[in-house]
Amino acid sequence: MQSKLKQGAAYITRLGRQGCEAMEALGRAGVFLAQSAVGIPSKEGWALWLKQLHFVGVLSLAIVLVSGLFIGMVLALQGYTILVDFGAEQALGQMVALSLLRELAPVVAALLFAGRAGSALTAEIGLMKATEQLTSMEMIGVDPLRRVVAPRLWAGFVALPILTVGFSVVGIWGGYLVGVEWLGVFEGSYWGNMQSSVSFINDVGNGMIKSLVFAVVVTWIAVFQGYDLVPTSEGISRATTRTVVYSSLAVLGLDFVLTAVMFGGLS
Amino acid sequence: MKVNQPMTDVPFIEIEDLHFSRGEHDIFRGVNMTIPRGKVTAIMGPSGTGKTTLLKLIGGQLTPDRGRVLIDGLDVHRLSRKALFALRKRMGMLFQSGALFSDLDVFENVAFPLRVHTDLPDAMIRDLVLLKLQAVGLRGARTLTPAELSGGMARRVALARAVALDPELILYDEPFVGQDPISMGVLVQLIKRLNQALSLTSVVVSHDIKETLSIADHLYLIADGQVVAHGTPQTLDANQDPRVSQFIHGEPDGPVPFHYPAESFYRDILGHASVTRAG
Amino acid sequence: MKRTKTMEFGVGLFMLAGILGLVFLGMRVSGLTLSTPSDTFRLEANFSNIGGLKPRARVTMAGVTVGRVEAIELDTEWYDARVILSLNSELEGQLSRDTTAAILTAGLLGEQYIGLSVGGDPDVLHDGDIIRDTQSALVLEELIQQFVSNMVSS
Repeated sequence: MQSKLKQGAAYITRLGRQGCEAMEALGRAGVFLAQSAVGIPSKEGWALWLKQLHFVGVLSLAIVLVSGLFIGMVLALQGYTILVDFGAEQALGQMVALSLLRELAPVVAALLFAGRAGSALTAEIGLMKATEQLTSMEMIGVDPLRRVVAPRLWAGFVALPILTVGFSVVGIWGGYLVGVEWLGVFEGSYWGNMQSSVSFINDVGNGMIKSLVFAVVVTWIAVFQGYDLVPTSEGISRATTRTVVYSSLAVLGLDFVLTAVMFGGLS
Repeated sequence: MKVNQPMTDVPFIEIEDLHFSRGEHDIFRGVNMTIPRGKVTAIMGPSGTGKTTLLKLIGGQLTPDRGRVLIDGLDVHRLSRKALFALRKRMGMLFQSGALFSDLDVFENVAFPLRVHTDLPDAMIRDLVLLKLQAVGLRGARTLTPAELSGGMARRVALARAVALDPELILYDEPFVGQDPISMGVLVQLIKRLNQALSLTSVVVSHDIKETLSIADHLYLIADGQVVAHGTPQTLDANQDPRVSQFIHGEPDGPVPFHYPAESFYRDILGHASVTRAG
Repeated sequence: MKRTKTMEFGVGLFMLAGILGLVFLGMRVSGLTLSTPSDTFRLEANFSNIGGLKPRARVTMAGVTVGRVEAIELDTEWYDARVILSLNSELEGQLSRDTTAAILTAGLLGEQYIGLSVGGDPDVLHDGDIIRDTQSALVLEELIQQFVSNMVSS
């Protein structure tokens, strides 16, 4: 009995300690974000930003576009078989466009971005930390938050919304290919129903807001995990895994909250 | 002020009653040191005594629990972030791994401090970089990337980068570790020559006794979080303290035991045997 | 950094693609048009029941889309629905005064839209005029109710 109690107390202590550690990490991450995201970029900062935008944006374009195409095609195929039962296959364009713009494009693009660019950012910054490049930069008198972290952060903020737009466009086109070219939905009603039901502000705009929020969260998690990791090869591999896991969970959780606020009638 | 005093007996770095711990583990328990201006001072000690940590404390990357570090009269840990970065411009540090920026080539690595801290025109930066690379004998390697360099070459490039801004102080973190005899000789030569040519203050952290003794003017030996001995190479060589002589002469067993703390060997073996027999 | 030029070009293309994509989403997917309001003129029509008609719904004539619903509001004088239509300006001065507006449904479950049909009056409608002759939306529940009460009474 006594030992059971003691064990219970130990569990509670451990829970408390983990809670404290989690809050501490959250605080560190917040300070970290504030310190690196502010500050006017110098002329050189633009060049660094451009380079990172190329790395996280342009090089992620292929995977995002290919996924978008397939998701659009699958949506059209699945949607058609359901809608055709109600004789409502004219609404295919509307269904494809709305599900892509509101949900699938921001979420799936963010998940792909976390896997492709986020993990690479973590590993890259972690490697710079492990090989003392960050320390040596500090000793030269250059703040690594400004020089290494800030360009990556801002590149991520810009890249993901653009990738999301690309995802939507290609997905809608993929839906067109399957729905109109293959399954024979009337082209005019594919586009017409889409245009009459999609609102630029409410659907495209809210989708963009979502993807901007995801961009901030995913990039933040990725660079913070890289900066905060234990500088060993094991630490890097763990941090890379954590980046993908945490950012995927954060994206899906936030998506629910944002959807509830934007489309769920909460206001 | 004493900033412009050319006298060599005024200490450049003063470390007073330095305490530092990492978690439960005490690393320094009251370290006192004075590092003279314009000399090579070596800090030696067995692995794991926190020599690198000491350099990080001097560079202001870690904050001590107690005590202070004065560099040229400035308390490193009381400075604002801006003043600390300004002070660091006057220091160079050579890291154990070289720590070259992997996304820049050799030339850009050496040019990096010049580009961020000066507004010199490109042509002048080029001349300065080539001058520094010439001094370490790697002018021909300027277009290579860090991945293409051998360990010794990387450390020489890092040395060129550390002196790019003509600092007053260079901190060397284990400069001889893992080097073949030739690059070791090259590095010993370079450190000695740089110290004389630029009349800078050097702090070498190392456990390579022969090389360090050959270049150091002054030695500190640390163990158990404290300074156990200091003096010139000659006085340390003659020191009779067993902790000192074990380290200087490389004896395998002594005050620093060969065995990691464990219960008695006899009981460990026998106890295990009785358990297996019983089971 | 020799790759800078091609890299900059790549990033430029990337951002351009993003902007073009957004334009595509605006024009082709959400149906925003750059046409100025001067291309249309407004008519009003009062309906006793608009059913599921929504703003931005189509306005057609003989099945051809000629405009859309601009706004729907409650007319507090008669307590019916005032619907403001914006129509292609080509039709200004072409529609007779006795033109009728009916709320129709595309298919059984489809969206609702307004169909116009022209009468024979020599006078024509101008910007801001009111269509008098209107036909409300067919509400399925009312039809069923009518059908049932007819059955009972007969």
